[in-house]
Amino acid sequence: MTRPSPAAVADIRLETLLLQHEITTFNNVYAAALDDQRLMDWAEMFTDDGFYVILSRENFDRDLPVGLIYCENKGMIRDRAFALKETAMFAPRYLRHMVSNLTVGEEAADGTISARANYVVFQVLYDRPDATIHQVGTYHDKFRRVNGTLKLAERRCVYDNLLVANALCLPV
Amino acid sequence: MTWQRAASLSSIRDGGAIGGDVGGTPVALYNLGGAIYATHGICTHALALLSEGWVEDGKIECPLHQGRFDIRTGKALCAPLTQDLRTYAVKLEGDDIFVDLDQSGARPADSAADKRPTDACAATAAVIVGAGQAAAAAIRAMRNAGFNGTIDLVGDEPHLPYERPPLSKDMLFGSGDLAACTRLSQADVESLGVRLHLGQQAIAVDPTEKQVTLGNGTGLPYGALLIATGGRARHLAIPGSERAGVLHLRTVEDAAAIEKALAAATHVAVVGGGFIGLELASAAIKRGVAATVLEREPEIMMRLLPAPLGCAFRRLAETHGVDVRRNAEVREITQRGARLGIVTERDTIEVDAVLVGIGLEPHVDLAAAAGCKVLGGIDVDAEGHTSVPGIWAAGDCALHPIANSGRRVRLESWHNAEEQGAAAGRSIAGAAPEGPAKKPWFWTDQFGLNIQMIGSIGPKDIVAREGGADAVAGTIYRTIDRDSGKLTGVVAFSLPEAIRQARTDLQATTPFDLDTSTAVVLADDETESTDASLEAAMNAHPSLALTKRYLWPEEGLTRIPDWVYTDETIYQREIEKIFHGRTWNYVALECEIPNPGDYIRSNVGPTPVVVSRAEDGSINVFENRCAHRAAEFCRELSGNAKEFVCPYHQWSYDLKGSLAGVPFRRGVNGKGGMPADFKNADHGLRKLNVTAHRGVVFASYCNDMESFPDYLGPEVLREFEATFDGRKPVLLGHYRHTLPGNWKLYHENLKDPYHATLLHTFLVTFGLLVAGNRSLMLADPTGRHGVMASAKSDGKAVASDTKKEMRAYREGMTLEEPRFMDFIDEFDSPWSVTMATIWPNLIIQREMNTLGVRHIVPTSPNEFIMKWTMFGFEGDSEEMTRHRLRQGNLMGPAGFLGLEDNEAIKFVQDGMQHVPNGEHLVKLDPEIEAGTAESLISEAAIRAMYKHWRQEMGL
Repeated sequence: MTRPSPAAVADIRLETLLLQHEITTFNNVYAAALDDQRLMDWAEMFTDDGFYVILSRENFDRDLPVGLIYCENKGMIRDRAFALKETAMFAPRYLRHMVSNLTVGEEAADGTISARANYVVFQVLYDRPDATIHQVGTYHDKFRRVNGTLKLAERRCVYDNLLVANALCLPV
Repeated sequence: MTWQRAASLSSIRDGGAIGGDVGGTPVALYNLGGAIYATHGICTHALALLSEGWVEDGKIECPLHQGRFDIRTGKALCAPLTQDLRTYAVKLEGDDIFVDLDQSGARPADSAADKRPTDACAATAAVIVGAGQAAAAAIRAMRNAGFNGTIDLVGDEPHLPYERPPLSKDMLFGSGDLAACTRLSQADVESLGVRLHLGQQAIAVDPTEKQVTLGNGTGLPYGALLIATGGRARHLAIPGSERAGVLHLRTVEDAAAIEKALAAATHVAVVGGGFIGLELASAAIKRGVAATVLEREPEIMMRLLPAPLGCAFRRLAETHGVDVRRNAEVREITQRGARLGIVTERDTIEVDAVLVGIGLEPHVDLAAAAGCKVLGGIDVDAEGHTSVPGIWAAGDCALHPIANSGRRVRLESWHNAEEQGAAAGRSIAGAAPEGPAKKPWFWTDQFGLNIQMIGSIGPKDIVAREGGADAVAGTIYRTIDRDSGKLTGVVAFSLPEAIRQARTDLQATTPFDLDTSTAVVLADDETESTDASLEAAMNAHPSLALTKRYLWPEEGLTRIPDWVYTDETIYQREIEKIFHGRTWNYVALECEIPNPGDYIRSNVGPTPVVVSRAEDGSINVFENRCAHRAAEFCRELSGNAKEFVCPYHQWSYDLKGSLAGVPFRRGVNGKGGMPADFKNADHGLRKLNVTAHRGVVFASYCNDMESFPDYLGPEVLREFEATFDGRKPVLLGHYRHTLPGNWKLYHENLKDPYHATLLHTFLVTFGLLVAGNRSLMLADPTGRHGVMASAKSDGKAVASDTKKEMRAYREGMTLEEPRFMDFIDEFDSPWSVTMATIWPNLIIQREMNTLGVRHIVPTSPNEFIMKWTMFGFEGDSEEMTRHRLRQGNLMGPAGFLGLEDNEAIKFVQDGMQHVPNGEHLVKLDPEIEAGTAESLISEAAIRAMYKHWRQEMGL
């Protein structure tokens, strides 16, 4: 009877840690793109068939599909980024995304990695002293590697604050 | 060089412009006095269609920023333009306009023939047109004076001539009868030799051929024609004046209808504080029916009598319980369930019937067409001659001179009809006038008094009163001309002998001697100052004039004061008068509560309610507020329950909101508990009136609401039913957001088609709004509801070549996945987009295929909550559902359009916060004061909403 070698055990734990780190880093890059309002960079973090939806906890819990933003593929995500940049009228603002409490699930046979993380988005309007909590919720994610790089195949942003403060002008 | 057909000539009006597409190039075509010109269709400055601009003096003004081009040369004429406009050659072949894009325009064109319309102008037998009292008097006088020719009497009523004073008196108590009023009986007809043509209208008079033509074709030749056509009761020229229950008085049938209405009424409104109005009010009071008299002027009878006399008549009415409202102009008559609403600037009064007594419109058309001089009445002399030989006129329709005064008046009285009719009759018979004309004399019976007036009283005359009190039996008023000091008239309250004396006094040629009489001269400006003093008493610092804040701007509907949107008092009044008033408030879709026990939390205005489906399948709406201690007991957004239990003291309610159980109701050990007479039935939740239409549920605090279809009116109902077309809605989910703006701004946003292409650049950039889209901004007749509608140019999906054209407007602006904007034509409607604003709290969104209802929940003047419920229909394929969800990217608080609206509304509220006494300007489309507009550049629907809002709010 042979025991697994300490090195092999260490490898699995290391891999888990590395993946965790990789996703944390991804989320940080993602948050930075949105904080800087580099929406085209944000759009490139999805796979071509990437699905992106922001939906209320109310709808999510009741299995109702309606989302504030509903994109079925990268084309739609790019369109969202492009249209917001080129045509949308809204008051200027700063946003700050905080992502934490990451949990990474098993990697499925097809290489899809499930993950969850909590997020908070602060919003600052130029004429108010306070940063308001614009969204608080959970990312329900599926990642896939494209040419070795992690991309989002799916991100469901499920927000708890059912009453959106006026308008959600930028993605979360 | 290619000539391409661009449009048809007949499609451009003179002085107008239309847009078109020539081989993918947008062009604008203009008609300048019949000559057609073509230019490129888009302004060289910004993205705007010149065909939507303004043509004047051969120039086109861009609709967006008012740059002007010369249409013939394309020259840019002013800032902000910097670049000339391309012009194109035009040729006409028949009705077809051809344009050559390769050739510039600038050629002289033939001007069209200038057609200018030319003005189209047109004794032994007596004919009398009009079979009333004057006719009867004339016939008698004619025969008495020896006239022995034929007499033809034409009357449009089927009755023999009758007198009208009893119509506003005995007839209203059901005690009068027509026979007693008849002035020319059947026996008279025979003995006086009169040929009757009753129920017939005289439609033409030929003064040269001397013939009258009747509606049935009969021709009546005449040697003498007497026009005694009287008139018709003047109708209110306001919306709703045609409603059943709005009654006028002129004929015996009218009197019967009013009698019937009084028998069934508890409260009537009388519009017009004249003699007829007061007699109607008097009849109502006598029958135990409350009466409100609405007089437009600051005092009743102001145009007829000096103010002190109007005041006396008013006091008489008020003493008998009539509510007389002065300065009360009626704006509209609305349906309020089975009752009617009299809308004035101040408020809306609910009544069972509206009795209109605002005077008479004389029938003068026939006389005018015959060439008679007509000045608001048919001009006659003392003997009734009109300006046309062979034609006489008498009675209510005639304008006759007052002896020795130089004034001409039209008198609508029994005495006048009698005197004038007789004078004309004698004149027709060739007899001499019978002495000098008698002084006008008039009587009225009201509130138990017989009041007689004699003389020609002018509204500016001095009034002297004899007798200690105003308007009681025995009081005499004398009126005196301000300049000559002579007596002009006498008014006696239940004192006929004073009138006899007056006949003599009025002959006097010397000024009336006030000094020797016991009369007191009444002040002209005697008005009560109670309103002002009340106001002063309520305000310790009158200079602050607190109430002034709620004065609507003098300009009227084209201005909206900021306090409408920001004031807490106004907001509280809105809850009471609107959300808790006579309105149907959206509360739910039926598909949210399909099964017994299903419930959702909802709101009527700000008030929390529960919408629940009971065991019997009924839908119930009740306040979410425990009858015991007001706790908002239901906390889940939705769910299924057998009963509702308030967590504080465990009071329980059934699914219909009735109180089921009260813990320890009988106390413990015989001590405590509710009083013995406590009944659960008296302490249920506040239940609301409920209705559902096509799966949409509405509630009302008003218990006698009209049906929902009646509430919407046919036009808005049609759009409602185009969206809720009978397929069963399926819930797709909700959005909820707050919006830091006044709730009405959201209605206005959807009654404001002006903003659509200006705020929502997305629409124009990506081709959702295409040149030539048809559109409509519908307002229902009340002004409260609206539908903003537009259609794709072909009513179907946007053609791909059209999209291409739109892309050309902005280089490089394309979407990768434009299919989300496709329109799948699933509705029986000419519109691909409709936004219905259902007063007071619902928006129905049919943005192509993304469907939703938006529920407005106001929380303060400066903020409201919007709850969106998105739906599809049973039978939708999975792809259709996904299409609806994809298209949903347009709307909602993160929608390409939705987020902009929310931001814009917030900006508006921000703009009002720190500027005192501000006003909004809503002047677009002045030709439509308030109502439906076909132009997108219109604020008429916003004005319509405020017309209604002011009525409901009494502001």
